[in-house]
Amino acid sequence: MTAFPALLLPLPVAIPLVVCAVILTTAHLLPGRLPDILAIGAAVSVAVLCAVIARYAAQGPIVYWFGGWEPHDGVYLGIGFSVDEASGWIAAFIGMLYALTFVFAWGFFDRTHGHFHILMLLFLAAMVGFSFTRDMFNLFVWFEVMSVAAFALTAYHLAESSLAGAINFTVVNSLAGFLMLGGIGLIYAQAGTLDFEGIAAAVARGGRDPVVAGAFCLVAAALMIKGAIVPFQFWLADAHAVAPSPVSVIFSGSMVSLGLFGLAKVSAVVFAGSAQVQQALPILLIGLGSFTALLGGWMALLQRHLKRMLAFSTISHAGIMLAGIGALTAGGTGGMLVYVVGHGLVKGALFMIAGILLATQASIDEIALRGLGRGIWPAGIAMALAGLLLSGLPLGALDQGTRLVQGALSQQGHGIALAATAVGAALTGAAVLRAAGRIFLGLGPDPGDEAGAPSEDEREKANRPLWLMLAPCCALLALDVAIPPELIAHALPRAAAAFMHQPAAGALVEGPAWLPWASVAAGLAGAGYGLFRNRLPKIVVQPVSATQSAPTRALEFLHSGLIGDYAAWLAVGVAGIAAVLAMV
Amino acid sequence: MSVLPYAVAAWLFGVGLYGIATSRNFIHLVGCLGVCQSATYVLLLGLGYRWGSIAPIFYDHPPGTPAVDPVMQALVLTDIVVGATLTALLLVLTVQAHKRGGSLDPEKLRPMRAGRKSGRSQDTSRGDEAARGAR
Amino acid sequence: MSPRFRIALLVLAGLVLMPAAAQVMAALPPFGSTIARYGARINAITPEARHVANMVSAINFDLRGLDTLGEEFMLLAAITGTVVLLRGRRGEGTTGRAMRLPGRAVIPRSDAVVLGCRIAGPLTALFGLYVVLHATVTPGGGFQGGVILASGTLLIYLGEGYAGWRDSIRSHWLDALEGGGALLFALCGLVPMLTGAAFMQNILPLGTFRDLFSGGLMLVENLGVALAVTGGFTQLFLEFMEETREAEEPDEPGEESA
Repeated sequence: MTAFPALLLPLPVAIPLVVCAVILTTAHLLPGRLPDILAIGAAVSVAVLCAVIARYAAQGPIVYWFGGWEPHDGVYLGIGFSVDEASGWIAAFIGMLYALTFVFAWGFFDRTHGHFHILMLLFLAAMVGFSFTRDMFNLFVWFEVMSVAAFALTAYHLAESSLAGAINFTVVNSLAGFLMLGGIGLIYAQAGTLDFEGIAAAVARGGRDPVVAGAFCLVAAALMIKGAIVPFQFWLADAHAVAPSPVSVIFSGSMVSLGLFGLAKVSAVVFAGSAQVQQALPILLIGLGSFTALLGGWMALLQRHLKRMLAFSTISHAGIMLAGIGALTAGGTGGMLVYVVGHGLVKGALFMIAGILLATQASIDEIALRGLGRGIWPAGIAMALAGLLLSGLPLGALDQGTRLVQGALSQQGHGIALAATAVGAALTGAAVLRAAGRIFLGLGPDPGDEAGAPSEDEREKANRPLWLMLAPCCALLALDVAIPPELIAHALPRAAAAFMHQPAAGALVEGPAWLPWASVAAGLAGAGYGLFRNRLPKIVVQPVSATQSAPTRALEFLHSGLIGDYAAWLAVGVAGIAAVLAMV
Repeated sequence: MSVLPYAVAAWLFGVGLYGIATSRNFIHLVGCLGVCQSATYVLLLGLGYRWGSIAPIFYDHPPGTPAVDPVMQALVLTDIVVGATLTALLLVLTVQAHKRGGSLDPEKLRPMRAGRKSGRSQDTSRGDEAARGAR
Repeated sequence: MSPRFRIALLVLAGLVLMPAAAQVMAALPPFGSTIARYGARINAITPEARHVANMVSAINFDLRGLDTLGEEFMLLAAITGTVVLLRGRRGEGTTGRAMRLPGRAVIPRSDAVVLGCRIAGPLTALFGLYVVLHATVTPGGGFQGGVILASGTLLIYLGEGYAGWRDSIRSHWLDALEGGGALLFALCGLVPMLTGAAFMQNILPLGTFRDLFSGGLMLVENLGVALAVTGGFTQLFLEFMEETREAEEPDEPGEESA
């Protein structure tokens, strides 16, 4: 017999699965709007259930054994879910993000017999399973279900660029799956079990073992590919930019950060006992994270395709999260967990705004949209607020996460990483604010002919009322701002410690209070520079453009869109991780 | 001899990755991805094997006969399903890409790049020209 | 990036990874020396605990049934995705003829092919059913059997031609088969919870060892998988075959959101 709170654990995974099987079975009989309603209901129930589970998990992780196969004599026979407070809240956040996305996508996919909802619900179930499981192979299964649903959703528009983006996404993420499976095979051969705790015990017993290091290398590479960390990040911009907007909301809001969430869990729980891995982690994660934050921010600034800009901004923020994990403290990991939620809320809202522009103005090009947003000014206010939040405005969950990550980094003396988190945030904020100023206020130079740049037919369905699309977007932003910081500050030390399987820490340190303001100021300055470059004196403009052209060209050159290049960089990334592991 | 299957797995992954990196045809590329995946089959089955053991099915042999690791076999079964789904999806994408773009060459079908039919970004087109110059 | 640079990168990565891989291989248990404790324990206890002879099925449907549930829905995601992406602009109409390449002669099917398919079709179906039903006893199971059953339907195309195939295979039924099978599997998880047991706990009578009816709940789950896989793979074949249909009108955006 399973006691009450544990009883709930399978439901958030099973409910979306059952609903999507029902939708598929009865697809041709269901009236038009029913899949929408069913999907929203399923997502809301997942969110509520996960929140209830998280509340109960505050007293300690809840464990559930599937099929009643409880561990016997130290041998783990079945698959278990183990939910700590943080994992529960992350899953609840994901359920809520899906519910709002379904509202946003109301009527978006009319004639497809609920196929869109089926894929999205599978995606949701996989994400919840991914954050709850305590079994290595089960983690892989949910990882793959996520991937497969995502691949199909990306290509939904069937335009040439979305197909190419989806192919790159599929190939790179399939390789990630194979790497992960290889890593699981290695660790299983050495530990003789697939359960997180069982492996952790075996790893702790084993001492320095190349097999453990090799397994970690492969699993970490796979999760970093999902998390779009340099040099694995290339697929993300191709895929997120072309996916339908509601799907991009989910991709950027939860899929990428969930990869890093998995990495945090695996490195804190499974490989906690390996000194080699633990020594390599800070170098690897903080180094790659800082670099990713800067590169993603810089690339975001260069884009004029709004969704591609947001995609690069996601890469930048993924880098900041990775740096937070790299601090290996409750503060860094806790900050990263809050950051996942805050970033998901803000970035989800931004992708919804991009979707609103696609639906109402039939364009996604920043230059072509100049001044066209005046008629939908509420979206402009939302976009400006989201841009400020991205750049670090000290308000809401995203800011709290940022400051905790920065606090953990500064505590350990990682000055460069600290600066990188602020600069990365400022760069992406600058890009979004520049676009908001240009689109909704008509700022910046008149583009003339350039505005006519015809893109592929990218209009998204325009039949939805503006308020219906704007409401979920505003709800996301309001949630980010309204989550009471005291509540998080109170619960987080305990939750982060439980997440990392460490004894509870004291209050978490926050970074310097001036740093967010500095990055907001830098973000505004960057946006202003982008908009009013032609009005500034030449003496200011020339050196800046001179310094930016060569590296910029190199970066654009590297983001070639060629799958062959991506595969080569993937090998380089794995080799880099292996090299760091070998050197410590 | 005792590491041969593992070496084969590593080699398979390596050649598969080489094929993906240099492929000029999407169908060939899907095949290469399959080769990479075979590496995981070989690795898992190799790790689960034991000399002198039977398949983990106790029909003709009584329970208790030494058998190979059934967990690895079950994992490979799941892996095969993963492979089937990925191949199907990639082939669909390839079919559609061929219909839209008229080509199966990754170099000709590139996502979100300027210089094809849409001049999306000054910077992008500059970068792309640089890329073409370098080639 | 030029191909040469790309290969240089790969070689560089390979040079770093080679010694690392060698080290890992040297530290792994030598090939064929031993198996993991988990697998050994399953081999030791499952025949008695679940009355089944096929350990792989026991793992797939009982001990690690959740993995198979995920795998089943992964298949469902892939097939739904395939349907969405292939149907995108083609629509769902069933009229139309198979595409003919101009200049290639249309050879009528010979009687031998028709007869061969009519004989082989039912035999394939029978064999598929056999593989499905003996999941817990001998090698096989819902997935393998389902694939055989689905492949058998292709013989209809070969023997009866495009029109015959299209008349006998209906997309809605396949959806229902696929979704129904997956639903059955998911319910096998949820129904035991109503009795107070754990998700997917084997609460049915376990039957006799080495008998067709052994394994309890596994049989139902296996049936669900078989239905879902048969429906799913047939759907896959159907959608790919539909690609050979002549388009009724020129290619135009059909998916409203495109």
